[in-house]
Amino acid sequence: MEAVLSVRDTKMDGKMESVLSIKDLNVVFSGFKALSGVSLDVYDGEIVTIIGPNGAGKSTLLDAIVSKSPVFSGHIYYQGKDITNNSPHDIARMGIGRKFQNPNVYNELSVFDNILLALKGTHGIWASITAKLTKEKKGKIFDVLSRTGLVDQAFELVSSLSHGQKQWVEIAMVLAQDPSIVLLDEPTAGMTADETYMTGEIIKSISKSHSVVVIEHDMEFVKQIAERIVVLHQGQVLAEGSVEEVQSNPKVIEVYLGHETIKATA
Amino acid sequence: MANAVMGYKQSSFPTKLAAISGIALLIFIILPFVFGDFQLSLMSKLLLFGSLGISLDLVWGFTGILSFAHGVFFTLGGYASAYYLKLNLSAASNTYGGELPDFMVWNGLETLPWFIAPLKYFPIALVATVAVPALFAYILGYFIFRSKVSGVYITIITLAISSALTTFFVSQQAYTGGTNGITDVSKLSFLGSPIPPIGLYFLILAFTVFVLALSWWLTQSNLGLILRSINENEKRIAFLGYDVAQFKIFIWTLSAALAGMAGGLFVPLNQFISPVYLAVAFGTQVVIWVAIGGRGTLVGPLLAAILLGQVQNYAEKVTQDWQLVIGILLLVVVLFIPNGLMSLLPKQLSLANLSKPKLLKTPDAVKN
Repeated sequence: MEAVLSVRDTKMDGKMESVLSIKDLNVVFSGFKALSGVSLDVYDGEIVTIIGPNGAGKSTLLDAIVSKSPVFSGHIYYQGKDITNNSPHDIARMGIGRKFQNPNVYNELSVFDNILLALKGTHGIWASITAKLTKEKKGKIFDVLSRTGLVDQAFELVSSLSHGQKQWVEIAMVLAQDPSIVLLDEPTAGMTADETYMTGEIIKSISKSHSVVVIEHDMEFVKQIAERIVVLHQGQVLAEGSVEEVQSNPKVIEVYLGHETIKATA
Repeated sequence: MANAVMGYKQSSFPTKLAAISGIALLIFIILPFVFGDFQLSLMSKLLLFGSLGISLDLVWGFTGILSFAHGVFFTLGGYASAYYLKLNLSAASNTYGGELPDFMVWNGLETLPWFIAPLKYFPIALVATVAVPALFAYILGYFIFRSKVSGVYITIITLAISSALTTFFVSQQAYTGGTNGITDVSKLSFLGSPIPPIGLYFLILAFTVFVLALSWWLTQSNLGLILRSINENEKRIAFLGYDVAQFKIFIWTLSAALAGMAGGLFVPLNQFISPVYLAVAFGTQVVIWVAIGGRGTLVGPLLAAILLGQVQNYAEKVTQDWQLVIGILLLVVVLFIPNGLMSLLPKQLSLANLSKPKLLKTPDAVKN
């Protein structure tokens, strides 16, 4: 754990550039402040885990990053470039991949085609008409399928898969996009303990080549993957730090860890 | 293995299907020699209606945009073609002699309007039959899809467009011929001599094959995958880096261009065009062909247009209440065969199924 902290400390010293930098972000839904004054930096190759009670603004934060929800004020910088309120497809092409809370996959297509759609590359009309399924593309598709354990299901319709497998299909889609930042919204929702553990291992392997931001509820899972935890509460950053730091933070204990479920794991 | 992913060939055209397509084409080539004049002209018309149905299938069946405005695109192409044929009447066969079409004379016009005059020339008229509906659709689509209007609201807009244009064309009698439209046009000529009905039939058959082949080629590519994904969940695909509006505008405009071409061929056959084809009733008929034939099947709408046209033809002879027969048929299909007639046929016969991947369950073949 100390090793992790020291890595984090050098990042905090400003020796490393942040890949994603959020400055004083405010998101307002018809008068309701879903996020107020959130600032957060994500560095190259790290896993940031966002926790917080329901309604804390976790999904809204990811929505604002990919421009699913409009930003009221504040800025989001990606590799130094202001991407606040850019169109979703431009943000996706720049290299930010998002997995949604409920598996948001194409049920009427095969697993293979879902990944093919997500594959990094040109997204124009003519390119899509003339695109050939080259060996490289097939190789890349089967690479992400093997990383997510879906090779045997490649040509099955997604609708025939289990809930946990659908979650993996979406993770595989995000991988196929080959983004610099992977945003995962509750990737283990509805998974069995074994599936959850495997997902944790997948996320760890992803973080070797990508920055990862994960929203999660399951504290066991958070312990498995977490390097740095950000606690959101009522749209604001309440605390930030390692698992131990967060769990011993009096403010966090009061608003969040005071809940029985968390006590059990603490 | 050379073919790294066995069995996954994107654009393979199975031999079985190739054989069936070949036989079907052969039947359509032989038919006109068996037909009488009436059936020849009816079948020509139904092939055009079928092509119109295929064009709607691209936007509705594949992309999920229900449009009642395809009759409008068809008719805009039709008017371009009608002006050409009307302006090429010889002075002798023109009611009042001279260049000016009869309906313009009745309505007190003294010179040919500048925006109609160029349509006298074949290349310009040919381009106009495609370009006018395509441009109209592009402008319409640009505002609809860029402003993120979706679902049923698009459908309502298409209904409004259809009604508004009907009223507009009726009101501009001096330029459009009003309710009667443009009648008594010349025959379409090739090298100075009028094309006989059988020639027109083969021209239309070639056009139908072109529409079918183009639509198949487009939908079996990655574009088809993207259109189907827009249909299932358009929000998700934007987060994969696709500009959804751009794809919708493209297929919408292309579809309108095909509809316009069909309209352009319809006038030489029908010998007139009128606001009847702009109206919602005709737009609804196009929707019915696609619904009955099967959405996203391409061949289905063509089959349905031919079948319904023939049923109507015979029902008209038997009873005055032929519309009741068509109505009952529609009810039966919607209630009992919700996916259309094509869903009754074995899957391999649908062109659209070719654009779907072959669902293999043999991982061994895949891993090689």
